[in-house]
Amino acid sequence: MRKLSLLLVFVIVISIFAVGCVEKVEAPKGDSGAEKDEVIKIGVFQPLTGANAAGGALEKEGVELAHELYPEVLGKKVELIFVDNKSDKIESANAATRLINKDKVSLIIGSWGSGFSIAAGEEIKKAERKVPAIGASCTNPLVTKGNDYYFRVCFIDPFQGNVMANYAYNEVGAKKVAFIIEKTNDYAVGLAKFFEDTFKELTGDDKAVVYEAFYNTGDQDFTAQLTSIKESGAEAIFAPGNFTESALIMKQAKELGIELPILGGDTWETPEVIKIAGDAAEGVVFSTFFDAHAKLTDTTTEFLDAYKEKYDKEPAAVTALAFDAYILALDAIERADSTDPTAIRDAIAATKDFPGAAGVVTLDENGDAVKSAVIKTVKDGKFTYLTTVDPAK
Amino acid sequence: MNKKNTLTLISIIAFIVLLFILNINLGIYQMRIFNLCGIYVILALSLNLINGFVGLFSLGHAGFMAVGAYTCALLTMSREMKEMNFFLEPIVPWLKNVQVPFPLALIVAGIMAAIAGALIGAPVLRLRDDYLAIATLGFSEIIRVIFTNTQSITNGALGIKGLPSIGITGKTWEVVIWTWGIALLTIIVMVLLINSSYGRAFKAIREDEIAAEAMGINLFKHKMMAFIIGSFFAGIGGALLGHLIGTIDPRMFFIVLTFNIVLIVVLGGIGSITGSVISAVVVTIAMEVLRVLDGDIIIGGYMIKGIPGMRMVVFSVLLMMVILFYQRGLMGTKEFSWDWILNRKKKTVKS
Repeated sequence: MRKLSLLLVFVIVISIFAVGCVEKVEAPKGDSGAEKDEVIKIGVFQPLTGANAAGGALEKEGVELAHELYPEVLGKKVELIFVDNKSDKIESANAATRLINKDKVSLIIGSWGSGFSIAAGEEIKKAERKVPAIGASCTNPLVTKGNDYYFRVCFIDPFQGNVMANYAYNEVGAKKVAFIIEKTNDYAVGLAKFFEDTFKELTGDDKAVVYEAFYNTGDQDFTAQLTSIKESGAEAIFAPGNFTESALIMKQAKELGIELPILGGDTWETPEVIKIAGDAAEGVVFSTFFDAHAKLTDTTTEFLDAYKEKYDKEPAAVTALAFDAYILALDAIERADSTDPTAIRDAIAATKDFPGAAGVVTLDENGDAVKSAVIKTVKDGKFTYLTTVDPAK
Repeated sequence: MNKKNTLTLISIIAFIVLLFILNINLGIYQMRIFNLCGIYVILALSLNLINGFVGLFSLGHAGFMAVGAYTCALLTMSREMKEMNFFLEPIVPWLKNVQVPFPLALIVAGIMAAIAGALIGAPVLRLRDDYLAIATLGFSEIIRVIFTNTQSITNGALGIKGLPSIGITGKTWEVVIWTWGIALLTIIVMVLLINSSYGRAFKAIREDEIAAEAMGINLFKHKMMAFIIGSFFAGIGGALLGHLIGTIDPRMFFIVLTFNIVLIVVLGGIGSITGSVISAVVVTIAMEVLRVLDGDIIIGGYMIKGIPGMRMVVFSVLLMMVILFYQRGLMGTKEFSWDWILNRKKKTVKS
């Protein structure tokens, strides 16, 4: 009896969930078989649950917004198919296979997190029916390397590391830097490596990086690393990594009386950084994809207006990138004038000077976007635009 | 040969024929899930040997899988692939030019995992219950952290991609033969092991260590044996998993992966081979089938708007229901046997 009543409670809970989201829809009109041909399917796979759900949700917003603005291409309706990859590589591969072979999509967008994108990329490479994929914010160079069907609308880690090294040398005037790197994060490791290469070249000094400290995702205490950095004689700190840990680093650096400028990457552009670090975040400098005040293209304005109207808040950079991934996909389908995945793939590969919300996109031979980076700082508790850095031509 | 053995042989042959039929008829997506089922069967059985039959609550499985996956990946990848992957820091020279056939790499992967199991087991198996769980969990994390930091061997956090497909020829039809072939082999090894004198010793240790020792069973030797065999198969399962996905990185081998397998084992029944096999297949397929719930569902003109993560909610509810009604897992400690089926048949004939 007790078991049965528990069962009943479960059923009720589930029904409440289901009823809560019931919406009346119009019955599909006309012959469903004919209608199917009129739909172009685009698959979106994102971490909608699990550890990276927040990132996935931001990208989903961007794709949905773009879909609302541009619901049609080649006179056909675009249907979005969202699948969840549970912030898990195995699930990502499953999701990608499902999109390719079961849902028969023409194109795939995603995913937040380079590891998930790589897993999907391997599936696309192995599949008999190859489908092009566009990543929004996966910055690990391995995503597109050796894969003709994967593209992305963001710049990659080498470029970002390069930009920050130049900033440290030219604007900050540092001759010696110290690193504090999130070792468990592919993004942070890559950024640090390319920062180091460029910085050594700029200074002509093989010992320009005076101290390298590491930490793991989830660490709380960085005083040991920071104390060593304080005594190392560095003139700037480069601290690529996840935003929570980075914010704690800023805070603890201030408590230790370290007055050095702290530089970082695009992950810092979340309100949490300012919330956690508070005053200590003042003056930190980081590179990112886009800024609302640096009107990069006309599409930026369109995106900002639409976003404000729908969500009434400031958009995150990854949302703009996801928006770009979708409109680039439509543009490529239009240029290919077909829904054949191979034709779309060729059209995407030929993308040149495409005006996206987060800057002008030109794809290089690897399928990576060559575009400008924006440098921002924190001033009076707000992210403030500093300058735009164009890619080396 | 008696009747039961004949039946077993016939069903194994029937299963192999079934594999070929499925291979031809199922789509790539369905086949992929089916392959994953096979791999989870291997992993669940290897954990069940340690957790279920010897009663050592180990949470170190993801670590052994990582050892197996990395060993196999580094041994089978071509030189060009390695150079492409290791763009930050070049790979150590002694690994760069190594490339061996897949079957050999798979065995080496298992052996490496078994060695890791032996090294970890020797100090840790002196502990009991919760302490053992915590210690193995810690060791599995240590393995992951080591792999993150040995950039020139494992490519660190960047991970490795472009692992060759499972099999010698690299064709898709071969994959299922390997995954389910090894799963079948694992099942046979486990059944033989459990029914041997070692198996009885394992169960005696599980029921009462002191009594078992008094009966002359060498506790440490038997525990080590189960732990090493378990980690061997975990390594092989991990290697197959890595090659099925085509890419690995240290974050893949988080503790969550161990919990997935623990879930399968508990659901199937701790200490039941049949249970582990059934629940590995059911859980893997259910996770994919329930995907329908994440999307919009249209019933009679009304649309239930999809909430991402809904399938996880339903999945958890199903799990709770199973645990409520079958408190010892689906099979408890019972096993599938021909006697059971034959007796049933007789009963129905009589009535």
